[in-house]
Amino acid sequence: MTVEPVAVVGMAVLFPGAPDLDTYWRNIVTGTDSVTEAPPGYGLPASRRGGFLGDLGTVDPAALGVMPAALPLTEPDQLIALHVANAALADAGLEPGTCDPGRIGVILGRGGYLTPALSRFDQRVRGAHQLAHTLTELLPDLDPDTAARIRDAFADRLGPVSPGAEIGLVPNLAAARIAHRHGFGGPAYTVDGACASSLLAVDQAVAELARDRCDVVLAGGVHHAHDATLWSVFAGLGAVSPTGRSRPFTGATDGLVIGEGSGIVVLKRLADARRDGDRVYAVVRGTGVSGDAGAASLMNPVSAGQAAALRQAWSAAGLDPTDPDAVGLIEAHGTATAAGDACELATLRDVFGPGNPAVLGSVKALIGHTMPAAGIAGFVKAALAVHHGVLPPMPACDDPHPGLAATRFRPIPVARAWFGHTRRAAVNAFGFGGVNAHAVLEAAPAAGRPPRVREPLPVLRLAADTTDELAALLDRPPAVPSGTGRMRLAIVAPTARTLATARRVVAAGQPWRGRQDIWFSPRPLLAGGQGRIAFLYPGLEGEFEPRVADVAARMGRDLPLPGADGLHAHGVSVYRVSRLLDAALRDQGVRPDVLAGHSLGEWTAMAVAAGYHDGELEPVLEEFADAVRQVPDVVFAAIGAGTGTVEPFLAGTGVTVSHDNAPHQCVVCGPSGEVGKLLLALAGNGITGQVLPFRSGFHTPRLRPYVHRLTAAAELLDTRPWRTPLWSATTLAPYPDEPGAIRELFVRHLLEPVRFRALVERLHADGVRAFVQVGPGGLASLVHDVLRGHDHLAIAATTPRQTGLGRLTRVLAALWAEGAEPGGDLLAPRNPRSSSGATVRLSLGNPVVSLGEDAAALLGRTAVPAGSGDHRAAAVAAETARAAADVVAAVRRRAAPATTTTRRHLSLERLPYLRDHTFVQLPPGWPEPGDGFPVVPATDLIRHLCDAARPTASGVVTGVHDAGFDRWLAVAPPVTVTFAVDTDTSDRRRVTAQGYARATVAFSGAYPPAPPVWPQPAEPGRAPRLTATEMYAGRWMFHGPAYQGVTGIDGIGARHVHGTLTTPAAGGALLDSAAQLVGYWMTEELDGDNRAFPVALTALRLYGPDPAPGETLTCHVRIVAVTGGTVTADLQLVHDGTVWAEMHGWRLHRFTSDDAVRAVDRSPGTARLARRHEAGWHWATTHWADQASRDLIARTYLTPAEWALYQRRPARGRNAWLLGRIALKDAVRTMLTDPEVFPIELDTGNDEAGRPWITGRHGRRLPPLAVSIAHHGSIGVALARPYGPVGIDVLEVADRDDATVAAALTPAERELLGADRAVGFTRFFAAKEAAGKALGTGLGGNPHTLRVIAASDTEATVATTAGDLRVRLTDLHHEGRRHVVAWTTDREVLP
Amino acid sequence: MTTETVLAEIGDLIREVLDGYDLGAVPITPDTSFDADLAFESIDLVVLGTLLTERYGPGIDVAGFLSTRTLPEIITLRVGDLAGYVTARLEHA
Repeated sequence: MTVEPVAVVGMAVLFPGAPDLDTYWRNIVTGTDSVTEAPPGYGLPASRRGGFLGDLGTVDPAALGVMPAALPLTEPDQLIALHVANAALADAGLEPGTCDPGRIGVILGRGGYLTPALSRFDQRVRGAHQLAHTLTELLPDLDPDTAARIRDAFADRLGPVSPGAEIGLVPNLAAARIAHRHGFGGPAYTVDGACASSLLAVDQAVAELARDRCDVVLAGGVHHAHDATLWSVFAGLGAVSPTGRSRPFTGATDGLVIGEGSGIVVLKRLADARRDGDRVYAVVRGTGVSGDAGAASLMNPVSAGQAAALRQAWSAAGLDPTDPDAVGLIEAHGTATAAGDACELATLRDVFGPGNPAVLGSVKALIGHTMPAAGIAGFVKAALAVHHGVLPPMPACDDPHPGLAATRFRPIPVARAWFGHTRRAAVNAFGFGGVNAHAVLEAAPAAGRPPRVREPLPVLRLAADTTDELAALLDRPPAVPSGTGRMRLAIVAPTARTLATARRVVAAGQPWRGRQDIWFSPRPLLAGGQGRIAFLYPGLEGEFEPRVADVAARMGRDLPLPGADGLHAHGVSVYRVSRLLDAALRDQGVRPDVLAGHSLGEWTAMAVAAGYHDGELEPVLEEFADAVRQVPDVVFAAIGAGTGTVEPFLAGTGVTVSHDNAPHQCVVCGPSGEVGKLLLALAGNGITGQVLPFRSGFHTPRLRPYVHRLTAAAELLDTRPWRTPLWSATTLAPYPDEPGAIRELFVRHLLEPVRFRALVERLHADGVRAFVQVGPGGLASLVHDVLRGHDHLAIAATTPRQTGLGRLTRVLAALWAEGAEPGGDLLAPRNPRSSSGATVRLSLGNPVVSLGEDAAALLGRTAVPAGSGDHRAAAVAAETARAAADVVAAVRRRAAPATTTTRRHLSLERLPYLRDHTFVQLPPGWPEPGDGFPVVPATDLIRHLCDAARPTASGVVTGVHDAGFDRWLAVAPPVTVTFAVDTDTSDRRRVTAQGYARATVAFSGAYPPAPPVWPQPAEPGRAPRLTATEMYAGRWMFHGPAYQGVTGIDGIGARHVHGTLTTPAAGGALLDSAAQLVGYWMTEELDGDNRAFPVALTALRLYGPDPAPGETLTCHVRIVAVTGGTVTADLQLVHDGTVWAEMHGWRLHRFTSDDAVRAVDRSPGTARLARRHEAGWHWATTHWADQASRDLIARTYLTPAEWALYQRRPARGRNAWLLGRIALKDAVRTMLTDPEVFPIELDTGNDEAGRPWITGRHGRRLPPLAVSIAHHGSIGVALARPYGPVGIDVLEVADRDDATVAAALTPAERELLGADRAVGFTRFFAAKEAAGKALGTGLGGNPHTLRVIAASDTEATVATTAGDLRVRLTDLHHEGRRHVVAWTTDREVLP
Repeated sequence: MTTETVLAEIGDLIREVLDGYDLGAVPITPDTSFDADLAFESIDLVVLGTLLTERYGPGIDVAGFLSTRTLPEIITLRVGDLAGYVTARLEHA
């Protein structure tokens, strides 16, 4: 009889080297061996090697409900079990209270070993007594009082006793404490079946679920008993490895090493898990348990007994283990004892028979034998393996156990992608004395994710008047959110990690809106009723993935959604979701001041504003859908660029802009053929676009013939006064009130483009600061794009990535942080009980008790005072001080040196204004300002050079001559610069900032008379294209506010530019602003290579003191020379009609930069350097002519860690390496829905087998991705997909000699090579490489391991051990060279 | 033949594979990493293997040598590893 399948919906572990599930999996995949020598505090000799938690054995006792005083008598495994259970419940998303707690059980495997607290208690009760008794026997004269004192002192060293704490010693509390803490009413108990215990727990949990006594069971095991007695027992049995290494199933098998740890899984019936929309890691298909009959001794395993458990489990699963494809992975017991491994291999041979090859491993190789927790350690590993589709490796398996040969199982040295239809794994756990357990797991079949109603998320809310006060509150949050402070901080579901981020955010004092679920507003936008709230209702978008069913359930509403197939269904669905969220937000106390809509969403806004019910508006939608169905063959396409960029491509076509959405997005509409051509033309210019899945001529004149039908339908709606002001995206003004005017605007809305961008700008100008997207889609991102650089909050009330209620809670938290007082029940009136951070490292061992330094005093003797040493130290110190004084005096007597050196420590902390002088633009609110590459501007370096010279001379600085700037002076990380000053003449000093810059500084008693103001230039001038504000807003200059001193660009010509400067306060910012005018001139007048940085200045002459901040100057720039590599200019700065300063020979080095580089420079969040190939992969090529230019791009694309790697790459491969990273990041950026993703938000790397990975930084979350990179010469390619396996390779076509062809290809492959051997060889080799990468093994140095068995010009089939892989091929021509790109397709395995 | 001689000859062959690419400041020593120092790609290793077989005879099977190593070992392969293999093979020949 088969059993009902059980789902694993949550998991958590604490094992050696693995504080959490993610780390555990990473260690497994990388084969990280966490067996170490015994750390201090365990009371074991350091030579004992095993799996130890060490510092990972840390919990917050208060958060677990245990008083610190009770700790010495509380068994650590109880606290760890509760800690891990909480993590497993959180992982399951099963916060206490979501299902009937009376039907939740807890079953844990736990052994009857001497555990640390019990051992301490034994010492206290028996050991202390024994000590006193022995002393009295040895020293008959010892008086009874002294003996009692010694006994008490010994007991005291074991920690204080608090009354009643002894309950913490009761062994079954490991399970009971969890049930008690959470109020679970199902059975909670421990089981002991030695090393099979935790699989017995799983078996019993499955039974509890099957017989319907429980709905949820937490099952697992705990083992924290590194007691000397346990080691002695196993050593005595000859089971402990003398080499201290756990090497199961190898020739080096010489015994086990003991580990410790806990693991707990959350189990539910699969049907329930499906119903509740749980994530299912794996499905338990069957379990089996048996005993060994007829064993030779209690220690000898019996293969037949083991086999019985295995067969029972497979029978329960309704599966035949001898089926060739029955199993892909065996997580074996694998104790690494000779008898154990040999017996287990015999069992595997007998039960599974010959069949197809499968992988075998045991996590004991990494963490040692965790005894009763061993079964769950293996179970979690197997569940993660089927979940991720990865076959894990086992280290040191190159020396296989001879018994493996007779089985179909082999360990693998590196992780490998798991091919095949059903990923199925099986887990063994066998116990001493003959108790055997086995579980069969398989990957969960795909299923939709219905929603689940959950309890409100905890939200921590703090307010204070200063950042210091707020930081203090973060450390000790009040129970109730206080509303008095000016600054507000809200954190949804705070964790230690997000609290740490919040501390940094608060310290930085800048607004932070939403990353890591933190909202911080130092100047709340809505405080005091200043800023207003707008509700924005979306229209139709490409994606429709609402997650709002839990919101509907909580509101007690039905939410029938007809889906997104067809305009009518899609429109009705979006409308209903928007109305639901509108009601939910109002229910939570959020009141909009203004309503607006995007496209069809404007109708939703009308319906809300007028108070229409669904039955009134939906017939209009139906009529609309019916009418537009008749518009012939027109399609919409969303374009990843603004209208200004797209419009030049529209000339002469029938395509028009229908939606002007944002600076980097618009929608066009036109005949499908023409739209297709447009997309191709745009793609050729690096602009992406996508046809939307619905058709109509909405917002274009094409709808005109059908308008009468719509207006007729709209007539059905009676006009009512607007309850909330409603704005039009056609007129950019509030809707009229008069019925005739409303109908007229209704028609214009249908026929004219949606001006969403302008609408958002107008709303912002009108005081709207919070924009809430009330419905599905990406409107909030568009608002961000429009309002970049302006303070605002834009947030979507639903997202596919979060539950509906979870998202609503975040909206409320965000609005609260901006000063709103929503007042609904989702924001609880109390702050969550914080984890105080008062964590305690548990005593997991039992060191020998020492009576301490005063021990001898117990016997009435006085300890030798340690003071004598102190006297000696004091004498030495006095001697040293005398010597130092002599040296100082000697130095003072010496003549002033020819060279004076001073050292200056330069950092962002000391020079905070340099945050506004960074080469790389960072995401808003980025917590690491150093990532932007802040550098000291050359003009500020001049100031530093002058400052260094000033103490050595008298008078004022009147000139700086022959200045040279050798290298960027970057201040993050902080840097110490040595300034050396030499006297040139009495009034001139030669100053060097060593390694960075040099100049001669001239001093004088007074400023010289000012020269005449330059006359107007003789050449004709014209108006500049940009205003100063536009120059900065459009990032034509990278300078932030502190360096934005140009307040007017007043005229420009072929060889001049002049402007107005307003003196900023930041160091060197006035002269820097003057120099920015030169940069602006280059931008307008030079074709390409118009990025430049100063390298030299012939002379700076000063005619007066520095103008005060805020003073206005005019600046004239004469361009004196332009070459391919440099631009040289003279500048004059005039203050109140008098010349204040002149700069002569200001020379700039021009960096190579084409439009693509410039675009990345200006908009790193949206522009991309790599191009997308139509097959879906990305490729990047060199856009630079010199290393300095390349480094600038690298700074934009690479994180600090990657930058360090980049610099370590050999010069030969550095370019290609960078291109690969650019291609990968751009490939991933195009897959994310957020239109703005900065490359620096993505971190990449390679695991030790060379496979690339990519992950988000600072709150940027990535969906699961499988990625592959390749680079060759001046091309980098990358492929990213939502799921694996993937492989890509690029290779230049070149003819190879016979020997190379023979070495790389088998004879059969050589037969297949076509007439053009160079092309054929390149294709074959690239195809094999791509296949090797997809397998996760590469070619492993031996190109014959993978074989091309069929090939055409566009495709190759590669035979591998995992099946035949299909690899696609294409040519790629670049700079006159021909390359082949090979990549695996998403349906890679051939039937 | 000593390891030093083999090492020097392998250095020459590596330069041949790199096809005149200026190694600049990077001398080829036993510690030179094929990946981290020389940016070798798979195809470069194949070519170097054929050059070694040409130079020292069919007893030198670089692919066979590499297939005994794990992927992390191949990625961190150093010139000295290869020189050691070649020397050992030559001694047993």
